[in-house]
Amino acid sequence: MELQLGLALPNHNNPSAGNGVGFKSRKDAANKRSFQEAFGNYKIRDELQMMPLLLWSGPPDEDDDDRKGQKKINSCNSINKNEEEGEELVVGWPPIQSWRKKLLFHGQHPQQGQVGRRVSKFVKVKMEGVGIARKINLSLYNSFETLANSLIHMFATYQESEKRGVRYTLTYQDKEGDWLIAGDVPWQYVSCFSLFFLDIIRIDLEMVQLIFRTFIESVQRLEILRCGAVESRP
Amino acid sequence: MSYSSLPEDVLEHVFSFVQSDKDRNVISLVCKSWYEIERWCRRRIFVGNCYAVSPRMAIRRFPEVRSVELKGKPHFADFNLVPEGWGGYVYPWIRAMAGGYPWLEEIKLKRMVVTDESLELIAKSFKNFKVLVLSSCEGFSTHGLAAIAANCKNLKELDLWESDVEDPSGNWLSNFPDTCTSLVSLNIACLGSEVSFSALERLVVRCPNLRTLRLNRAVPLEKLAHLLRRAPQLVELGTGTYSADLRPDIFSNLAGAFSGCKELKSLSGFWDVVPAYLPAVYSVCSGLTTLNLSYATIQSPDLIKLVSQCPKLQCLWVLDYIEDSGLEALAATCKDLRELRVFPSEPFGDEPNVSLTEQGLVLVSEGCPKLESVLYFCRRMSNDALVTIAKNRPSMIRFRLCIIDPQTPDYLTLEPLDVGFGAIVQHCKDLRRLSLSGLLTDRVFEYIGTYAKKLEMLSVAFAGESDLGLHHMLSGCDSLRKLEIMDCPFGDKALLANAAKLETMRSLWMSSCSVSFEACKLLGQKMPRLNVEVIDESGPPDSRPELPVKKLYIYRTVAGRRIDMPGFVWNMGEDSALRLS
Repeated sequence: MELQLGLALPNHNNPSAGNGVGFKSRKDAANKRSFQEAFGNYKIRDELQMMPLLLWSGPPDEDDDDRKGQKKINSCNSINKNEEEGEELVVGWPPIQSWRKKLLFHGQHPQQGQVGRRVSKFVKVKMEGVGIARKINLSLYNSFETLANSLIHMFATYQESEKRGVRYTLTYQDKEGDWLIAGDVPWQYVSCFSLFFLDIIRIDLEMVQLIFRTFIESVQRLEILRCGAVESRP
Repeated sequence: MSYSSLPEDVLEHVFSFVQSDKDRNVISLVCKSWYEIERWCRRRIFVGNCYAVSPRMAIRRFPEVRSVELKGKPHFADFNLVPEGWGGYVYPWIRAMAGGYPWLEEIKLKRMVVTDESLELIAKSFKNFKVLVLSSCEGFSTHGLAAIAANCKNLKELDLWESDVEDPSGNWLSNFPDTCTSLVSLNIACLGSEVSFSALERLVVRCPNLRTLRLNRAVPLEKLAHLLRRAPQLVELGTGTYSADLRPDIFSNLAGAFSGCKELKSLSGFWDVVPAYLPAVYSVCSGLTTLNLSYATIQSPDLIKLVSQCPKLQCLWVLDYIEDSGLEALAATCKDLRELRVFPSEPFGDEPNVSLTEQGLVLVSEGCPKLESVLYFCRRMSNDALVTIAKNRPSMIRFRLCIIDPQTPDYLTLEPLDVGFGAIVQHCKDLRRLSLSGLLTDRVFEYIGTYAKKLEMLSVAFAGESDLGLHHMLSGCDSLRKLEIMDCPFGDKALLANAAKLETMRSLWMSSCSVSFEACKLLGQKMPRLNVEVIDESGPPDSRPELPVKKLYIYRTVAGRRIDMPGFVWNMGEDSALRLS
């Protein structure tokens, strides 16, 4: 038994279908339990009494349930979009195990102590003229050079007939939302700035971060511009 | 000589060869004497819903059980849809079994609340206890685990698969006595805090039969080589954190340790992976059948290099960083692949962050002739692609597709994906599990009801237009056992018209659908073998009878209503009217 899979929507007005479900072949209609059977003259199937608690009067009427149903779709399926943040607030969707969510998207394991020297930091990166944005883990890189080279290589596949000799500038957005050219501040603290050291000289971490701004700490997004395009940013 | 006149012990011996629960159930239905013989020689029971039967009833019928597997919360609990405190407590079972099954050897639990008290009771009640598997469980701490370690002298397996364990200290491992040498499998990957490495090392060294070892993120890469050299017999390994400063000596030590593990078939872990250290595992890749890289945030080129070394791979879990190009390499290399899971690296963003499309899955379906199980998160799909996949792999058993934005149409035609999923159910005749996503009308449910005759579990979200959709599923899918639905406009009519079908299923979950309080009440009152439970944290459902109920969980049971319902769960049974008023 083959159901004809076509792209047309079921024809609710087709009288030959009878049940308004849009079966394409009579054979199917014969094999499948019809609505009259299911809701009205129910039969005993497989020794299982399919006793309905409600007798469906037949196909849904235009003026009755269809319209109600339509309304229901709108109310049920509406996704609460928080316009300002553009965040979708559907509980349970997409269906990712809370365990996985906790580990991958909320940073480190909450109970994890000092384990793992490298704290993953994911930022979004775009390349001028390339439609697709990427997310990369900055903790995998150690310098501006390796980062820039890797990103240019990563986006190379999307470049159509790229001319040789084009130069790129790596820019980043800091916590204040300003776009800056990467390299204006050091990549990371030098290791001697341990908490122990800070404690001795009695300045708090926040202050240190203000004085010694670093790329790793302040970067929020990345964009690779073709050389000379910095000024054209709106 | 008829079967019924065979001596009891002969029949018992014959039955002992029948392993599947289903077949054992069928045997017990043949006649009264078979029922009696079978129940006395049943050693293993599986209870798919801990509220479907009471522990007392289970023990009364099967007095000689050695292995019990129980499941608690509904599957949607995985996605935060079941409020905390809902239930699924294992303690009543453990208490009953402590009296009824002194020779119990195995307990396997999934999505249950396990207290330290339960673990302590297990530790002291069962003299020959061997296997404890806690899968997606919660409510216990390392204190309970310490009790298990200290008292279960013949423990072979301790598996804490994705459980939420409170772990104030890693010292619990040192509670394994020096005489404990029986461990075959130890999975502590879910633990957050550092474990006592010396205790772990001593344990690994004295268990010569250890085959599976899954470490947690707190075990540093430098220590891994150390452990591997002491357990070269390992078959399954979960690494700890897979990062370290780049040093040639660390690398060569690790690579050397891996190359000594000739039996390795499965690798997982790779937390915080530094790609430069991946080549250390290349020497064992040719024997690998299972690779779980779903926590490894590495980019496509590194994934391609790794996967290309694994021609025997049967199961791959990976993040979408693998991209279409990586899946192409997979399709070209891994001709034995049976299971593929591709998880999203950034499910909450608006734009795609990787180049992973329907094409990757199409390529794998073409290249991997044994592919039968798929979980695939992506951002675009087409009917053409689904039809191709269905035709390529008619032997598909599990097909779960998650297009991340709800109600996404075919990106080429902007049509619903009805035809594509229709092709899946039509061609894949043995399909047992299906998850739908994308833009779908009632028509897809018509296809499902018509063709998916072996479908056992179906997950639906943001789909359908009317009650017709639900009716098709309930009336057409003959083998359906679990149906879970969220945010669909399905309501009273289809539910009530198929009330009897629900008694043949394990459970039905409906949240944010259009089922009324009145219909729930009717169903609960007329169907005594169903527990109809409404979950609403904002107050009693009859205070807003005009609104559809928020969450509905219906399951068949022979144990009656459960007694551990929290304040936000209402049972719609006979006296619900009394209780609520």
